[in-house]
Parts: sequence; structure tokens; C-alpha cells
Amino acid sequence: MSRPAQQQPPYEDDPLNPKVAASALDLLLIELVPLAQRITEHLLAREQAILDEYKRSRLFNRTASKVPAKSQASTVTNGAGSLTVAGARGGVIGGGAEDGVVVGSEGKAEVKDHKDGEEHATTSLGFPIMSEETRERVFWRLDGMGYRVGQGLVERFSVNKPRPTTPLEAIKFICKDLWILVFRKQIDNLKTNHRGIFVLTDTKFQPLGRMSVDRRTGIRGAEEALARAQTYLYFPCGVIRGALAGLGVEATVEASSTEIPTATFQIKQKGAKA
Amino acid sequence: MPLLTTTKQYTNNALQNNPLHIALFPATGPEGQTQERNRLEYSFMLNSSLDIFEARMPSKTIGHDFGLLHALDERIALYGWLTNTGVKLVVVVDMEGRTAPSPEAAKIAILGLRNSDLTPAFQALQTAYIRLLRNPFYVPDDHDPRTNRNRGSMEITSPRYIKEVERIGKAWYPGITAI
Repeated sequence: MSRPAQQQPPYEDDPLNPKVAASALDLLLIELVPLAQRITEHLLAREQAILDEYKRSRLFNRTASKVPAKSQASTVTNGAGSLTVAGARGGVIGGGAEDGVVVGSEGKAEVKDHKDGEEHATTSLGFPIMSEETRERVFWRLDGMGYRVGQGLVERFSVNKPRPTTPLEAIKFICKDLWILVFRKQIDNLKTNHRGIFVLTDTKFQPLGRMSVDRRTGIRGAEEALARAQTYLYFPCGVIRGALAGLGVEATVEASSTEIPTATFQIKQKGAKA
Repeated sequence: MPLLTTTKQYTNNALQNNPLHIALFPATGPEGQTQERNRLEYSFMLNSSLDIFEARMPSKTIGHDFGLLHALDERIALYGWLTNTGVKLVVVVDMEGRTAPSPEAAKIAILGLRNSDLTPAFQALQTAYIRLLRNPFYVPDDHDPRTNRNRGSMEITSPRYIKEVERIGKAWYPGITAI
């Protein structure tokens, strides 16, 4: 098969001010969610191992058996080893989130008592479902990553644009410019109650656009898909929050999806009234 | 030719400013020697110029270039630039000038300074700051008084950024089109 020679469009590649690589970002976001999950689970396992060892040394004071202690130690080092690989990415960004995470896990680990390497429940298609505890932390981690990305993005891409004077203008910047850069389309619908609450609706949200739903199992399949899709919404939440923080608007962002591929983002400004 | 001292400050709506970086360039003494500048004196100058940003904010809706903020005396003039994210860039120009680096340059007479003369410097500084943000080891929240947890110095410590600011300061002269 031969193709006629095509003219390459001129790419203005300015190394000092590069553009966003959209397809690379898409693939990276897809990988980001399992990555966050793995990091969180390793952290949890490590915490659990350390706490188990501590409990054991207190309970069986002098008769502490060496064998369990060794296996605990090896899982700890394994966790630490894989953490350094994955940690370079989430290390700096997740550093702040980690403090909150560690405190939470200590409290929870006292109550629970699960083994390492537990069996994961799986969905109909065979994907592991996260436990409640893991979910919260994964969401927090993803949000934190998105936050830093949002701050950097807004600095770079608001360079020649007029300065947003009101929060509404800042949100419009996000709906138009930022969304186009990151997801290659604009937000379809923006609603506000003029008292600090904004609702952004995207009918064909890019990360959710290619997700498959197992319709064989009927409604249950759709619900499972929604629950798994929820994880992919947290990074964009963080990006919005970071972008707003960069523009001087303090807000919380929540995302939800009732139907794939529609996504709704709710932005609540600090001190807003419903 | 004039010399520069530059600085950067970070602000938010609650009027908390944190100096991110200050770079001083030596003055030219009476016999052509270089004299170091007094850091404290320039710190005061820069901090006091921040109020001018706030004061002009309501009327300056478009654009980032605040132009001449204040002319202190015959010698020192302050120029400012505000980015969309609230980072303020302030350049202090010393009208006394420095010895020309080359004989051709010495023949060019500079009579006064226009706002547009400083635009390349501000753009280069902004590019340097954006580049700093692309460094994963730079966490913007650590340099903001509201979100900083470490309670240590909140200034920029990245060597590459500091070198870049030095380069901009040394390379600038009125009339340069791009640094």
C-alpha cells in the first residue's frame, strides 16, 4: 500500500513554551488511576505490617516468635521497594496528602485486622474492586496530583489572556481554554446560582468517552461501570481546583456521573450559599 | 546603561505577599568599579511598591503590564508586571547606568526609559517562572503563606531559575527586543 506524500503542517515547537500533548495526556490519565491504586494499597499494606509487628511485640513480649517477624519485615521491604519506583511520581505531590492519609490509616488499622494479599472482589468483567478505605485514599491522591497539574497549567496557558476579575470569568476560562487544552473540547453547559455554586456539564467527557459497559448483566453492569468510572473523575476535579487556586478562587470541586459518558462537575466557592 | 534589581512576589486576595526571589545587580561606582547594593534597602523598596499594585487594581482591568509604578528619585524607577495567577514581577531600574560592554554600545545614547523597553525583560522573567513550575520538585503551595506547612523559608531555591534571572538582568538594556 502506498500513500501519496503529504505536506507536514508546520509545528511551531517552541521549547521554551511547549504545548500540551493531548494524546500522551490521555494515555497517562488512563494509567494514573491504577497507579494511584497501587501506591495506596502498598502504603496500606506497609502500615498494616508495621502495626501488626508492633502488636505482636507487645502481646508476646519475651516469647516473640522470629518467623512471623521476618515475614512481616520482608513485606515491608517489598512495599518500600516498589514504593520508590512509583513514589518518584507521587512523592512530592502526595507528600502533603500522605500526612493526612497516615493518620487515618493508624486509626482504622486498629479496628480492622486483615491479612496481606487478601482476595479482591471482582466485577463481572474481572476487574478488582477496591475496598472502601482504599477508595478514599486513591481519590485523595488523584485529587492532589490534579491540583498540582492544574496550578502549572493555568500559569502556562493564561499568559496572554486578559486577567479574570470575577470568579465567573475564572470559571469561563476553565470551561473554554483549559478544557480545550486538556480534553480537546469545551464544556457544554455552565450553570450558576450567582452565589458561588457552579455546575459544569460535559456531555461527552473525554476520559469516559471510550469506556465499555457490560450490558449483558443489565442494570448491574451499568452501575459497576459507573462506580469504576468515578475514579477517573477525580484527577480532572483536582485540575479544576488547582486552576482555580492559581487564579485566586478558593473552591471545592466534586464530580459525578449518572450516565457514561456524561460528567458533571460541581464547584462550590468557599463561603458560598446554596 | 541602567542596571536592574528584580524581585517576585506572590499574592492572593487576602493581601498576603511573600517574596519569592530577589536578585540584585551591582551598581557602578565613581571610578567605574562595581559596588554591591544594599539588600535591605531594596527589600523595603520592593515591598512598598506592592501597594501600588493593589491601589491600581480596580482601574487596570486589561493587561498585565503596570508600567512605571513609581519613580523614587532621579535615579531609581520601579516597573511592575502582574501575571494572571497573582505573581508580581517588579524591576527596579537604576538610571545611572553601567559601563558599556563594548565601544559600539557606548555610542548609543539612551535618553529615557519607555514602558515598552521593559516588556522583554518581564516576558523573559515570566517564561522563567513558567519553566520553574514545570519542575516537579517545585511545589507552589510551599511558597504560599496560606498553604505552607514547613514554616521554613518560602523563597525559590531552584539554581536554574536563579541563574536564569541573573542572565536576564545582565543581558537587559533599553531597546533590546528579546532576551
